[in-house]
Amino acid sequence: MLFDNIAAAFHELFVLKTIILMMVGVVAGLIAGGVPGFTIAMAVVLTLPFTFGMDAVQGLAVMMGVFVGGLSGGLMSGILTGIPGTPSSVATTFDGFPMARAGRPGFALGLGVWSSFFGGIISAVLLVTLAPQLARIGLEFQQWDYFALVVFALTITASLAGENLVKGLIAGALGLLVATVGEDEINGVARFHFGNEALKQGFGFLPVLIGLFAFSQLLSDLQDRVKARKSLSEGGGVAVRIEHRKAAAAVLKRWVNLLRSSLIGVFTGILPAAGSSISNILAYDQAKKASREPEKFGTGYEDGIIAPESANNATAGGALITMMALGIPGDIVTAVMLGALLIHDVIPSPTFITETPVLAYSLFLAFFLANFMMLALQSYTLRLFVLVTNVRMYILASVILAYCAIGVFALSNIAFDIWTLFWFGILGYLMRIFGFPLAPMILGVVLGRIAEQWLARALARSDDLSHFITSPWSLFFLVLAAFSVFFPKYQADRGKKIWTLVYPAIFMISLCVPAFMMGGAVRIGLGILLIAMGVHSLVKHHRNGWKVDPEARDAPQLREG
Amino acid sequence: MRRLNRDVYIAIVLLLLCGAFFAASFDIREIDYGILKPAAWPRMILVALTVLSLTYLVQSLCRGAPPDDAVPFSIKGVLGKYRNPLWCYALFLLFLLTLDYLGMLIGGVLFVFCLLTAIGGASRRNLIVHALIAIIMVGAMWALFTYGLGVIFPQGEIFTTL
Repeated sequence: MLFDNIAAAFHELFVLKTIILMMVGVVAGLIAGGVPGFTIAMAVVLTLPFTFGMDAVQGLAVMMGVFVGGLSGGLMSGILTGIPGTPSSVATTFDGFPMARAGRPGFALGLGVWSSFFGGIISAVLLVTLAPQLARIGLEFQQWDYFALVVFALTITASLAGENLVKGLIAGALGLLVATVGEDEINGVARFHFGNEALKQGFGFLPVLIGLFAFSQLLSDLQDRVKARKSLSEGGGVAVRIEHRKAAAAVLKRWVNLLRSSLIGVFTGILPAAGSSISNILAYDQAKKASREPEKFGTGYEDGIIAPESANNATAGGALITMMALGIPGDIVTAVMLGALLIHDVIPSPTFITETPVLAYSLFLAFFLANFMMLALQSYTLRLFVLVTNVRMYILASVILAYCAIGVFALSNIAFDIWTLFWFGILGYLMRIFGFPLAPMILGVVLGRIAEQWLARALARSDDLSHFITSPWSLFFLVLAAFSVFFPKYQADRGKKIWTLVYPAIFMISLCVPAFMMGGAVRIGLGILLIAMGVHSLVKHHRNGWKVDPEARDAPQLREG
Repeated sequence: MRRLNRDVYIAIVLLLLCGAFFAASFDIREIDYGILKPAAWPRMILVALTVLSLTYLVQSLCRGAPPDDAVPFSIKGVLGKYRNPLWCYALFLLFLLTLDYLGMLIGGVLFVFCLLTAIGGASRRNLIVHALIAIIMVGAMWALFTYGLGVIFPQGEIFTTL
C-alpha cells in the first residue's frame, strides 16, 4: 500500500512542468530567504497567487520548494554579510560570519548547505514515517478534541509570540473575529457586513494574509529613510565558491550533532506555533552545551553552523507532520499551506493521508525533492543572490507592493480583495509598531472557521459541555493550553522565583490524568512515567531547599520572531 | 492624564471595537435551527476579546506614564518618522481609487513610478530609472498573469474612452 501510494505520487510529481516550477520555487525561496527583511513566510505567501492556476499537487510542490529554499537561503546572507536573511538563520551567523571573515567563506557556506540538506532529509524520513502514525492517533479525536486542539494551537502561538502574552492573545482573538465576518459556513447567515455587500462574502484569506504579513513587512523595511535607499550588498556580500566535498565530509564527521540538531528541529516543528526561529537557537545552545570545546563557539566553529542549519531545515518536516496529520498549522508557513489546500478544496484532517494518499505522498516526495534541488541550486543562486542584493531596498519593496496588488486581484478577480489588502496592510503595520505579534492573528484567521465548525459539530452531537473535560484528548489539549498561557511568565521568572521550580512538575502530573483516561498499556505507562518524573522533580527541589538555579536564567528563551 | 501611555489608548480603541461588534452582533439574523446560533461564536470571541482588552487596559494603567526622556508626541515628528510608509499608503489608496479609471496596468505602473520617486528622490537620472523599472516590472507581471494565468484585470475606462 505504501509503495503503491509512493508510486502513484511519483507519477503525479515527476512531470517536467512540475519539476521546472519546483526549481523556480526553490530558487525564489533561496533568494527571498537570503534577503534580510524578506521572510520565508512572505515568500510562500507571495507564491500563493501563482499556484491558483495549478492543480493541488503542482501548487503545493512549488510552495514546498519555496519553503525549503527559504530555509536554506537565510544562511547566504548570514554567513556572507553577518545579517541573517531570516530569523531561522540567526544562530548561523554566530559562527558562520566569523568563519567567513577568517577567510573560509566557501567552507562556511558548504557547511551550511550540507547541514541544511541532511537536516531536511532526516526530517523528510521522519515526516513519512511519523505523519501517518500521528494521523492514526488523530482518528481517535472527537469533535470536542478538535476544538480543544485549536484552542491549544492559539494559546501556544500567543505565548511564544513575544513578551506580552495579553497582546498575543488579543491578536489571536482579533484573527478569530476577522474570520467571523461574512457568511457563516454552518447556517449561511451573513455576519458583520455593516450593510456592505462585499463584506457579506467575508474577507478573502489571501488578501488578509498578504496585507497583514507581506504588506506590513515591506512598509517596516521602508520605514528607515536611509536604509531604504541603500542596497543590501553594502554589508559586504560577495560570491564565493562553495567547498562542497570538504564541507560534506565535515558535516558527516559530526553526525551526532547533526542528528541531535535535526531531531530538535523536527520536534520543535511538530509543536504548533514553534518554528525554525526557535529551533535554530535551541539546537545551537544544545550543541554548545554538549560540546567538548564550548569556548570555540562564536569564533567560527564548524558545530556552530551545523547545529542551527540542520535544525531549521528539519523544522519544516516537523511542521508538515502536524499540518498533514492533524490539520493544524505548525507555523505561519504551514498556515499558508493549509490555506492553499483549502483553496484546492482539500481539507487537512487526520483522514487527509488515508483519503487523499496521492496528494499526501506527493507532498512527502516534494519535500524530499526540494531538499535535493536546494543542494544542487544553492551554488548558482549565490550569484543571483549577490545581484539581488545590489538592488536598493525601496526598489525591491515598491515592485513587490505592486505585485501584492496584482496577485491578490488574481485570486477571484474582484477589486474588493485589493481593498482588503490595503486595510489589513495598515492593520498589520500598526500591530507591528504597537508590539502586537502577527502570528497569532494569522493563525486565528486560518483556524477561526475550523474552530467554529468543530464547536458546532460538538454541540450538535451533545450540548453537554462536560465533554470538553471528560474526553481525554480534549482534556489533554486544554491542560496544554492552560500551561502554555503561563509559559511566558515561567520563562521570565525562571532562575528567579520559586514557583518556577514547581511548574514543570505540576505540568507533568496534570498531563498524566488524560493519559490515564485514554487507557491502553502504553498511555497508562506514559502516565506513570509522567507522575514519576514530576514527583522526582519535586523531591529534588525539596532536598535542595527550594533554591532557584541562577544558571537557568541563561537558558534560551523559546520565542518565535 | 499624566498616567496615560500609548497602550491605554490602544486598549480603549479595542474596547470600542468590541462594543461596536457586540452591537452589530444583534443585527445577525436569528435562526430557529441548530444548537450553535450564528451570533453565538462571534459573541464568545468578543467576550474573550473584551476581557483581554480590559486586562491590557489595567496593565497599561498600572505601567503609568511614559518616561520623561521619551520623545514627546508631535504631528511633525510622526510625519517625519513614518514618511515612507505614509507615502506608500497614500499612493496605494490613490491607485485603488483610480483603478476603475486607469486600469491595473497603467495604474500599477504609475503607482510604482510615483512610489519609487517619492522614496528614492526625483533627480533626472532617477526619474528615467524609476520609469523604466515601473514599466518593465509591472508590465512583466501584468503580462504573466494576463497571458500566462488567464487573469482578466480591470482594463480601465481610460482605454474604453480612448
